[in-house]
Formats: sequence, C-alpha cells, structure tokens
Amino acid sequence: MATSSGKRSLKTFYYSWGILTVVGVLLAIWIPKRYMPHMMSNDGNLSVTTMILFSVLAAPVAAGVYAAAIHVLRHDRYKGDGVPPAAEQVRENTKLTVTWLTVSAVLTVFVLVWGLGALAAENSSSGNPLVVDVTGQQWVWTFAYPGTHVVSNELIVPDHREVEFRVTSVDVTHGFWVVNFGVQVDANPGTITTIHTTPDKLGTIEVRCEQFCGLNHAFMDAVGHVVTPSQFSAWLASQPARA
Amino acid sequence: MSIADIEPQSEMHGGTPGHHESPEKVDARQRVGIWLFIGADVVTVAALLFTYLYLRGVDTAGHWMSMVGFPGHLHTYSEWENLYNNGTLGNPKPVYVGVLSAGLQWLTAALTVVSAGVLWFGEKSLRATKNAKAFSPFAIVAMVLTLVGVVVCAIQLGDIPQIFVGANDSITMSYTTYDSAMMAIIGSTLGHLVLLAFLGLGLAIRSARGVISGDKWYQVRLVRYFWVWVAISAVVSTLITTTINTVH
Amino acid sequence: MTTTLEHTETSAEPRGGGLARYQNFGTAVVAGVIFAWIGWFIARKLFWSSSDNFSDQVATMTAVGWMIGFWIGIGAFNAPFRWLLGNDNSRDDDLYYAGYKQGRARYWKYTTDHKVVGVQYIIVTMSLLGVGGILAMAIRTELIVPGTHFVNQQVYNSFIAIHGMVMILALIVAVAGPWGNFVMPIMVGARDMAFPRLNALSLWTLVSAAVLLVTVLAVGGLPVGWVVLGTIADQAGVGMDFFAMAIVVFTVSTTVASINLITTVITMRTKGMTLDRLPIFVWGTIITAVLALYAFPFFFVAELNQLLDRTASTSFYIAAGGGTSWLQANLFWLMGHPEVYVILIPAVAALFEISSTMARKPLFSYRTAVGAMVALSGLSALVWAHHMFTSGWAPTLGGPFMVTTELISIPTGIFFLVLVGTLWRGNVWMKLPTIWMFGFIFNFIIGGVTGIYLSDVPLDEQLHGTMFVTAHFHYIFVGSVLFGAIAALAYWFPKVTGRYLDERMGRYSFWLVFIGVQITFGAMFLSGLKGMPRRDASYSLAFEHTNFISTLGAYIIMSGMLVLLGAVITSWRRGEPSGPNPWHANTLEWQVPTPVPLENFLEEPVITQDPYHYGEELVGQ
Repeated sequence: MATSSGKRSLKTFYYSWGILTVVGVLLAIWIPKRYMPHMMSNDGNLSVTTMILFSVLAAPVAAGVYAAAIHVLRHDRYKGDGVPPAAEQVRENTKLTVTWLTVSAVLTVFVLVWGLGALAAENSSSGNPLVVDVTGQQWVWTFAYPGTHVVSNELIVPDHREVEFRVTSVDVTHGFWVVNFGVQVDANPGTITTIHTTPDKLGTIEVRCEQFCGLNHAFMDAVGHVVTPSQFSAWLASQPARA
Repeated sequence: MSIADIEPQSEMHGGTPGHHESPEKVDARQRVGIWLFIGADVVTVAALLFTYLYLRGVDTAGHWMSMVGFPGHLHTYSEWENLYNNGTLGNPKPVYVGVLSAGLQWLTAALTVVSAGVLWFGEKSLRATKNAKAFSPFAIVAMVLTLVGVVVCAIQLGDIPQIFVGANDSITMSYTTYDSAMMAIIGSTLGHLVLLAFLGLGLAIRSARGVISGDKWYQVRLVRYFWVWVAISAVVSTLITTTINTVH
Repeated sequence: MTTTLEHTETSAEPRGGGLARYQNFGTAVVAGVIFAWIGWFIARKLFWSSSDNFSDQVATMTAVGWMIGFWIGIGAFNAPFRWLLGNDNSRDDDLYYAGYKQGRARYWKYTTDHKVVGVQYIIVTMSLLGVGGILAMAIRTELIVPGTHFVNQQVYNSFIAIHGMVMILALIVAVAGPWGNFVMPIMVGARDMAFPRLNALSLWTLVSAAVLLVTVLAVGGLPVGWVVLGTIADQAGVGMDFFAMAIVVFTVSTTVASINLITTVITMRTKGMTLDRLPIFVWGTIITAVLALYAFPFFFVAELNQLLDRTASTSFYIAAGGGTSWLQANLFWLMGHPEVYVILIPAVAALFEISSTMARKPLFSYRTAVGAMVALSGLSALVWAHHMFTSGWAPTLGGPFMVTTELISIPTGIFFLVLVGTLWRGNVWMKLPTIWMFGFIFNFIIGGVTGIYLSDVPLDEQLHGTMFVTAHFHYIFVGSVLFGAIAALAYWFPKVTGRYLDERMGRYSFWLVFIGVQITFGAMFLSGLKGMPRRDASYSLAFEHTNFISTLGAYIIMSGMLVLLGAVITSWRRGEPSGPNPWHANTLEWQVPTPVPLENFLEEPVITQDPYHYGEELVGQ
C-alpha cells in the first residue's frame, strides 16, 4: 500500500509483506494437498485446485493487511505515559482508496470468473451418465441401479464414466456427500435432487451424511469403490435381485 | 459514586415526552416510528405471500390442492371423538379441495377498506371542526367494522377442509399446502383486525375523554397510517390469492 | 429555564408510576409461571388429547402463557391499556419509569432510561454468553476423543442446537444492545431514545425469550440443529415448540429495538449534528437497525409456519402434505444472512470509533466507511441462498448467488482499509480496547477469506456441512465479533462505571482467548478439510488429532473468558477510577459526567464539527 509521504521508512511493512506472502503461499500449496481427502473424480480434483488457487491469491492480501498491522505495532505505538498527542490529521487518501477498491474488485472478478467457469464445467453433462438412485433414510444410505434389480448399501461405480446420482429421502432431509468425489447434494423427501461427476481413479470411496438428520447422523456413513467397467458389470450381475 | 445514585439534573428539551415538547415535534417522531413499524409489517406480509407462492410453485407431490384421504370439517371435541372411536375410514381417496370462497375474502378486504375510509373521514372532520367528541362515533364505527371482519375471518378459517387418514386409534389430520398457506394469511388478517379494533376503541375513548383534542388530532393520523396499510395488505393478499391459486 | 426540579429537595420517595411501583423482574417471573400454568391448563381442556398434535398444542399454549404473564408482571401492558383508556403518563409517571430516585432497584424493573437498559443488556449478554459457553465446553469435551463418552448422542445433538441459538442471540445484542442503548443517544446529543418505553420492552422481551430458549434444555432439548430445518424439526419433541415461540417473541424484541434506534437517529439529533458529522458508531447502529427491521420478520414467519405444522397439522414443511423444507430454508436464510451482518456491523462500527480515538487521528475515509456498511447491508439481502448451494433447491440459481456473495468481499475489504488506515501513522495508544482490535484484524482476515472459499459453488460442494464451515463462522463470531464486543466493553466501561476495566487481567484474558481461538478453530479448519461433517456427536479415527487439539484450545478460551469475567466483576466496584473522559475522545458521550445524569445533558449541545479532530478545542464543554 502506498502512503502519502516517503519521509519514513516502510522497510518493516515491505519485509513483513514479503515474508508473510511467501509463508502464505507455501501453506496455500501444502495444506490442501496434505489435508483434503484423496480425490478420485474430476470435481474432487477441481475442489483441491480451487482451494489452492484461492489460498495463493489470498496470501498476499492477508499478508498485506498483517504487514500493515505489524508496521503500525512497530513504528506507531505511543511509548510515553499519559495521553498520546494528536497524530497527523489525514482523513482521506483517494489514491489509496481507489487502488484498494480496484484491486479487490479485480480479485473478486477473477475469483468469480473462475467459479462461474468451474460451475459451468461441472454442470455440463456427457449425455450418457450411469444413473444411481440414492435413497437416504434415518440412518442408512441405499443405492439402486435403475435398469437392473440391484439394490445395495455399498456404492460401486465404474471408472471413467460419468455417474449421475438421483437423490431422495424417505423421512427427513439428509446430505448425500461422496467425500472423494467432491460432490454433495441434499436428500429431500418428496423430491429428487441430482448431481453428477466422473470418477477418474480406482479405489475406496466414502459417503457421509452432511445434513443433520437426527440421533445417528454421525454414523450415517457408507463405503464404496470405484472399479473397472468389467468389474462393475460383474458386480452387478452377481448381486441378488431384490424387490 | 455508583451508577445507582443518578438524579435528574436538567429539564433539557422539556423533559420526557409529552411535557413541554411541542406536539409537532412529538408527532414527527411518532410518525417515523409508525412508518418503520409498517415497514416491518410489510416484510411480514410479504413473507406470508412468499410462502403461499413458493408452495404453489413447488407443488410437492402434487399436493397443493389435492391429497389422499377423507375431507372433513370437525370443529368440536365430540365430533372428533366420534370419528376417532368409531371411524372406519376405509380406503382413502384422492381429494381435491378447491379454492376457498373468494366472496368471503373480498368481504374481509372490503370491511377493512371501508373501516379505514370511515376513520380517515372522521379524521378529516376532526381537523376541520376541531371537535374531538364528534370524532368518537367514527372510531366506534370503524372498530365495529373490523370486528365484523374478525368474524368473517373466523368463518373462513372454519371453512378450511381438513383431510383425515387412518382408522380408529391412529387417525391423522392434515391440510393441503394451499389450505395451510391460506390459514396463515387469513389468520394474519384476523390478528391485524383485532389490533385495529383495539386501536379504534382506544381512539374512541380518548377522543370522548378529550385526550385527543382539536389540536392534538395527530394521534388519529398515526393510527390511520397503520389502518390504511392493513387495508392495503388485505386487498393485495386477496388479489393474489383469488387470482393465483389453482395449478393446472 | 429551570435547572433543577422543584420537588428534588422535598421528598426522598419517587412519586407516580401507578401499577409499575409494584412490578419488577420478580413479579414478571411469578406472573409468567402462573400464566404458563394457566395456558397449560386451558390447553389440556381445550384440545383433543388423542390428536398427535396434542403435546405440541399444550407446549405452545404454555409458552404463550409464559410470555403473556411475563409481560403483565413486568408492566409491559401498562402503557397500552393506559393509552386505551386515555390515562396518559404524567410527568411524575415518566420520571418514575425512568428510574428517578429508585437507586439500584431500577435495574430490576421496566425502566425506560436508556442507560439503565444499556446496563441491563450488558448483564443479559454476559448471561447468554455464559450459558452458550458452558454448552460449548460440553460440546468440545465430548469431542475430545472419538465415540460418545461424556454425553449421549441425543443430549449432544441438543446441546449443539441450543449453543448455536443462544450464542446467536447473545451476539445479535452484544454491541447493539449495551452500546446502541447506553451510548448512541448521548452520542447524538439526545436526552433518551425516541420511544423510551420501547427500550424497556425490547430488553424484557429478550429476557423472556431467552428464558424460554434455555428452558428447552429441560423439556427434551432440541436435537435438530440450530437452523431447525423444517423436516427434522418436525420430528423433534416439545422443545421445538418452546424454541419456535422464543424466536417468534425474540423477533418482536428486535423489531421494536430497531424502530427505536432508527427513529432516535433520524429525529433526535441535536442542533448541528448533520449526517456528515454523525459519529461512525451511530451510522453503524442505524444501518444495522434497518437491516434487522427487514430481516427478522422472515424468521418470525418461518417459525410461525413451523408452529402451525406442529400444532395445527398444516403442511408448510411436510412433504407428505405438499410442503417442503426448502421453504423453511429460504425463509430462514432470508433472515439468516442479513442477521450475520446485524451481528457484525455494530462490532465493526465500535472498532472504527475506537481506532480513531486510540490512534489520535480522524477516522480514515469516513464516507467510504459509511458507504461500505451500506453496501454490505444492501448486498446481504441478496445472498441468502449461498447457504443452500447444496440443498438442490435451485441449481440454476447457484451462479447468481455466487456473484452476489463474492461481491460482498469488496465492502468487507474496505473495513480493513479504514481500520488500518486510521491506525497508520497514528500515535497508537496500546490500551485494552486497542489490543482486542488488533486481535479482530488478525481473525477477521481468516474468517473473511475462508468465507470466499465457501462462496465458490464447486468448492462448497466439498466443504458444505463440514467443520470447515463451523471454523469459518467461529473465526467471525468468536474471533471477530466477540473481540469487537470486548473492545467496546473495555472502551465504554469507564463511561458506565467510572472505572477502567482492569488492564492487566484484560491483557491476560486477551492472550488466552486469542491463542485459544487460533488453536481451536485453526485445528477445526483442518478437521473440516479432512472431511469431518459438522453436528457429529462422534467421529472417525481420521479426525482424532485435530479434534483433540481443538478441545485443548477450547479450554484455553474458557480460561481467558473466565479471567475477563473476573476483570469485569472486580473492576465494576473496585477498578481504578477513570474520570469522565479517560480516552480524551471527542464524541459527546465523553463530554458528560460519569455517572451520566438522567436526561444526559444540562444544556442542549450544539455541534459545529465532526468528532474526528484531535489537537483542537473540544466541542461543547
């Protein structure tokens, strides 16, 4: 941030800003990858990428505010006894305000464009998804595969094929969340809500309920797997038919 | 010295309201207050109408005006007891409830509008003649009209059909979402009319006793602002519920 | 013009008051309990016991009885009935209601003096924070290790909802209640609020609603989450009826308070106090009040619908009848998002005031600060569905709500510009209010940035419903709003009591709470990133380390808040005397004596400049 006069040194501010930005960017790159779940779909990957990108963008902004505060704490603290005298009576700095507004607007627009683009990409469908009917009830998830008679409490989906979840509930509102796919949608009684994603890695997936639904909400989990297409057909064929 | 021992030291602004403060000043302040109160009420009524329109738009499972069960109009405990103990409801059928009487809705709105008109007319006479005692009958008439409106609202609420499902010991009752939303809207109108009746009675008593005088007529205007708002809200909600109702 | 009243010397007893002479908090509680019983009794006779709504009907009537009885007992109905009968208050009555000659007793009564109401709000806020804090400690203690050991799931699920709602109530009033009432009228040069009786009404209504809310714990709890989503709320026991009634009544309190605050600022400013000379805290107050006036009726209708569903078998939120919980969610969040700015803006405005006084500089960019608060409020009415991105209610609206939500970051950013710009090159006086303000700056960045993550719809599809969200809003509510509220308390404490809030204890408290916040909610972000859902009574082993750390941090916060409580208690009676203007500030409240006399000013102040000038002659004295 620029100031009106260059009479005093801004070293504390700039050094702090630099160091904090570097630290922030490093954290921004490391923390999401380290802590977020192992992502196994395009939407999951997108969420990690977005997390990293937004954090990297936020780092210099946060660092700037912190650096200014550090500079104030270092140089502008009144060290005497009694009441501090009046400081310089600056009321405005139009250049600074305009710069600040412009930068924040630009960042906002960038973040918006990214988000809208990601949303559009997410919403676009390949046109031939595998449909899985998801039913939530207190406190269990059930997965049905239309076109077959298969009903399961495990979520099995094939790799590299778009899957569309049609979600509903038979009692209260639940939240269907496939943690490794980065997608979730509420399960509401009386209607069907939809999300879709495309798995891109094989392995174990977890389903959790993320909308409070009563006594055993904390235990409303399900497990599943992403398997190869042939494994998927074999699994479908092997399931006993249920009414 | 503790904060408990504070005594008044001034008569700034003539002290607390109503004493040595000009009526114009008090009126200006109270007018801002009543407008803000009306504002909050506007949002409340808007939220009720939002509820009505949203439920109609969503029409979950097609139940806006239809349900599966048995329609009824139980109003007394013995009727309920009878149904509960002896009712064998058999196979529930789809029920289409249809719209509630538009005539009664418009009657309520009309009563509210006319009572507002009566009050306004009385206020105008009061300003012109400065005769507070002559204003009292206008307030009484306005109040009576709102009380009739309360009765009409109660009749409308009684007309709302209940839907019953089940048999003997496990009978449940429900309303379609149309009827639910109408219950809330009519109930709100009823509540507003009760408040208006209270205000009308107060104005009548106050003017008969001379508290509202030829000079201090502005209290009537404050009440009139709110009264006119209630009339407007009755007309607007009736317009919406009588024109935007069925789904198919 | 007389400067003393004729009867000051002649009698030691207050005159006037009528029925109010016998009414206080005690009679209110007694009357509340009696009428609650009457409501219960009538309901059991009136309603059909075989109906499945019966218990809800009885509970609702009991709650209605409590409210009516409380209002009767405290004297809230006195004025309306006197109006009805044309027996308006005399001067003696008004003085009695204002607490004239009643000493300490006036704090227990329906007192209209805004300064008494301000102190009452301090007590109510601290009580609510205390109850919410105890529940928070119960929650964190339960979450220290996986599994349910401390309390069972039903109790835990109830605790989280009550903790949430109690804290929300506490924070809504935390700054606007005490300081909007005590300080703001003096700041504009008025003798009291526009409608003094509404002062008392809004406070005592809040008290009755708070009692009802806390009683929920005793009648089966509220295991439905604090947002009481329609579908799950319908399954809850009678605690939900008490809750819904508490909310219905609470919205009356806030509406009445908003009307009072707005009218005061519009009509009761003293001579010369033009809008561009208005202290920034007053701007914050009126902007908040307008927003609250708009928002809380939605909550009123949301809970009214819920009560009708439960007592009258309507189908607003019941899918089998054609309803939808999306209706409840929309109504709730139409209130809920503006509400968080109702919570935030007074704290920020108080900090603006503090930053100027403590830096001995004018507020930086006054007009931009006002504009930012206005823009924030206006936008906040347009973002509500970002709480519903994953509900499935309207997938096509995700984009538009993302736009409005991300736009909010622009005025929010201005707050930092103004705060830091005011401090920059000031002579910053490092007293207790200043220290808490720096804490705010640190925490609000984190809270604000993490909000931006959640506003991105695709990212929200991973983070919604996780502890990441919980950590985000705790950085805002605890890390930012609470810090601002404590700064405001430390700043205006001398005006209320004539004593400084103990500086040393205050600093210990600051460091404990500040560090505790980073540990508790920093680790909570990691829990959320890892995928821990919120409102979980128990969690899988993957989350045990971060939860353990969060619980440790919570105990640190608790110790800090206890130290602060100790500071408030000891300083109130035995703190270092401060004099009437310890901070040498320019706003009007500091130009009157401490204790502040009834009706505040000896002579009407005349304002010729704004209060943001230092090193020049003070105005008015």
